[in-house]
Amino acid sequence: MLAELINPYYLQVASFILINIILGVSIYITLSTGQLSLANAGFMGIGAYTSALLTLNFDLPIIVGILAGTLLAGVFGILIGIPTLRLQGVYLAIVTLGFGEVIRVIFVNWESMTKGAVGLSGIPHMGRELLNTLKDFGFDPKILGLQNNQFVFLAIFLILLGVTISIITFFRRQNRSRVGRAFAAIKLDEKAAESMGINITYYKVLAFAQGALVAGFAGALFAHVLAYISPADFAYHRAVEILIFAVFGGSEVIWGPVFGALFLTVMPEVLRFISEYRYMIYGLIIIIMMAVRPQGLIDVNILNWVKLKTPKRRQKHGTSSQKSI
Amino acid sequence: MVLQVKKASKNFGGLSALSDVSFSINQGEIFGLIGPNGAGKTTMFNLITSMFTPSSGEIIFNEDNINGLKPHLITKKGICRTFQNIRLFPQMTAEENVMVGEHCRSKSGVFSSVFRTKSQRQEEERIRSKANELLEFVGLGGFAETVSDSLAYGQQRRLEIARALASSPKLLLLDEPAAGMNETETSELFQLIKKIQEQGITVLLIEHDMPLVMKLCDRIAVLNFGKKIAEGTPAEIQNNPDVIEAYLGSEEEDMYA
Repeated sequence: MLAELINPYYLQVASFILINIILGVSIYITLSTGQLSLANAGFMGIGAYTSALLTLNFDLPIIVGILAGTLLAGVFGILIGIPTLRLQGVYLAIVTLGFGEVIRVIFVNWESMTKGAVGLSGIPHMGRELLNTLKDFGFDPKILGLQNNQFVFLAIFLILLGVTISIITFFRRQNRSRVGRAFAAIKLDEKAAESMGINITYYKVLAFAQGALVAGFAGALFAHVLAYISPADFAYHRAVEILIFAVFGGSEVIWGPVFGALFLTVMPEVLRFISEYRYMIYGLIIIIMMAVRPQGLIDVNILNWVKLKTPKRRQKHGTSSQKSI
Repeated sequence: MVLQVKKASKNFGGLSALSDVSFSINQGEIFGLIGPNGAGKTTMFNLITSMFTPSSGEIIFNEDNINGLKPHLITKKGICRTFQNIRLFPQMTAEENVMVGEHCRSKSGVFSSVFRTKSQRQEEERIRSKANELLEFVGLGGFAETVSDSLAYGQQRRLEIARALASSPKLLLLDEPAAGMNETETSELFQLIKKIQEQGITVLLIEHDMPLVMKLCDRIAVLNFGKKIAEGTPAEIQNNPDVIEAYLGSEEEDMYA
């Protein structure tokens, strides 16, 4: 029965949704200190290529490749984050967009290493590698009543789901702490934050590096889920797509870009005829959101409303709200 | 001596905002800095808090030369300020605003926050209860959960003072705290600043409300066009001919007017 429910196609879409959610979180983190960075597609590319090349050329385990890709993206995040500290708003966006292009051009032209515009294929596939390893221990998906193919996609989906939930939990906890308050203070008023004793250099670079780490991580996962990457995957379009997650969903709360990534990945799949026009629709979304709802669909007020409507949450929050009345 | 300003000058291009201003503030006193608009009072605050670096001169806090130190380190050393045009974190609640003020007196980092270690939870608890004490102290007891944007003007001024106090300053700089307040609010503010002094905190005050300044301050320095024209007790300042001239204009000017 389980076997009929598990459709590899749906699982594949769900996996891309999860990767996009991680990318949405990556832009949210830098935005939560008020820095608009469009470099995340570039960081994603660094993560993807590093992990792909390490596993292809040196036969390293996938997990080592992913870790290395993530860390290298983080290092680049620090390297870009420090000199761009003085830039704000549109200027930072332009510089980081330029960085993304530079990275893409390097992937295209460093042919001896990256195979240029053709891209890298045959990257070890996360699910298949896992299946092969398990088979060595005598495991057969048929025990669960699954085809090999179904097991592979189910495994990927579950791994990504666990990873995504961990990342969201990580940053929700960080938000509700001293670090999160420092981020928010810098976003709301940098001068006042500085006067209150917050080391703004440290926290802005920290946010930038965290965004880069998460984007690099998403990129490395992307490489091992798709098994094929090319420079076009990390081009300007990707940068805009990540930005749209935050613009559409909102960047005040972490659920904004999560919702944005979910909705905007599902939509072209459900409405097949739309996907041809997706960039036109993205453009329209930006314009409409700027005019009608600059904070994005999901903001603090919506979240509070949802909490009030959820009976279980209401009880939990009942004591504190009564106190304030 | 808590703070010594020695021949501090600040030029913006050709414009000299402050020239050779010196004064010193004793432990525990309320020191007033007054002068007409544009005299350089706020510039002096910005020099002391290192928002600007002085063009020349020295600023010494508790025997340490603090010239050119990053602003957040100045706060850590024990100088904190409020702003002339209120600069709270608008979307945060009153409590969160004050909790941000305690940033430099706490130390949890990313990992202890994410894993909620015992020391992080205790620190968070300590910060929160101190924030609530401070809100109580400035008379905002019931407003912890209120978003600071929606507080009344006078309450926002007091919240800014609470936020500054949260950094446990030895020297508190208040930039026109009574601006825009009515008489009741001003007299409450008077009580509050007195209470702050009783806690052993030295206060440097910029204020245009002369009755308040004269009642409150132990000593006063007067700035005009970036120069110090007088220093002394309220009584001395009130009778100083230079000060009267700066505020009311000289008789000769009046003749031409």
